[in-house]
Amino acid sequence: MTQITEEISSADPNLDPETWVDRYGDYLYRFALARIKDQSVAEDLVQETFLAALHGRKSFKGRSAVKTWLSAILKHKIVDYLRKKNRERAIDDIDTVTETVDGFFHNNGSWKIRPVKWDHNPSKVYEQREFMDTFFKCLAELPGRLSKVFMLREMQGYSTKEICNALQVSATNSWVMLHRARIFLRRCLETFWFNNIKEENR
Amino acid sequence: MSHWMFNCKEVSRRVSESMDHRLPLYQRMLIRMHLLMCKYCTRFRRQLLLMREYSRSPQMAEDFLDPTVVLPPDARERIRQALKSSSS
Repeated sequence: MTQITEEISSADPNLDPETWVDRYGDYLYRFALARIKDQSVAEDLVQETFLAALHGRKSFKGRSAVKTWLSAILKHKIVDYLRKKNRERAIDDIDTVTETVDGFFHNNGSWKIRPVKWDHNPSKVYEQREFMDTFFKCLAELPGRLSKVFMLREMQGYSTKEICNALQVSATNSWVMLHRARIFLRRCLETFWFNNIKEENR
Repeated sequence: MSHWMFNCKEVSRRVSESMDHRLPLYQRMLIRMHLLMCKYCTRFRRQLLLMREYSRSPQMAEDFLDPTVVLPPDARERIRQALKSSSS
């Protein structure tokens, strides 16, 4: 599971860890701090990212820039951290999430929790830092395996075939997981972002 | 709705699946027919595509980061040491 998170790649064959801190340290720290808002936690996550990259660099295959590779690892670390933090104040949500997919629909298969219209200008939405906060928080609300699958597919652009190989799941299983991740993430964004926006605009 | 048509639950699953691989033609046709009649599934599909767009937006990577924020020197040194001792 961790392997693929740490594996992406670079056009640069000289993956010299000695240069990483100077070249990417500030960028990763900025990104972590923007999401976490706690200096020492952000520092720790940057360190963990570099260490994970160090151990995973042999499988790094040159698909993206080193910076992209490192920031992908960091994003997974951030979501894992947020999830752990959630767990400290709430009970484990894995079972509720897997059990309530059916809860979106009536027995006849029609929507019970109907998708609400997202009134916004899409290009403006992701310009807002708060939206990204919500996006990451919602990812952290998903069970770990689901957020990983979603991030690999949607953020990092892996094909489901690559995901299946890396996570040792069948294609069907990966589609089921992605559907689950998407339906819950969509609902979470709607609840914590788009509804609030509506309230404010009233 | 006729039994041969997809219901919303099936459409939501297949709409998601269609973002990951190409569905057979008859399934795509059934989905399209359903979407023509169902604003909730149309909305659902559009929002999943938006989520993908957000996930892959440059803003997701750059995030309008504050360029004045830098890794504090002591942390920088600590991380460098950690990398060194871990790689040796």
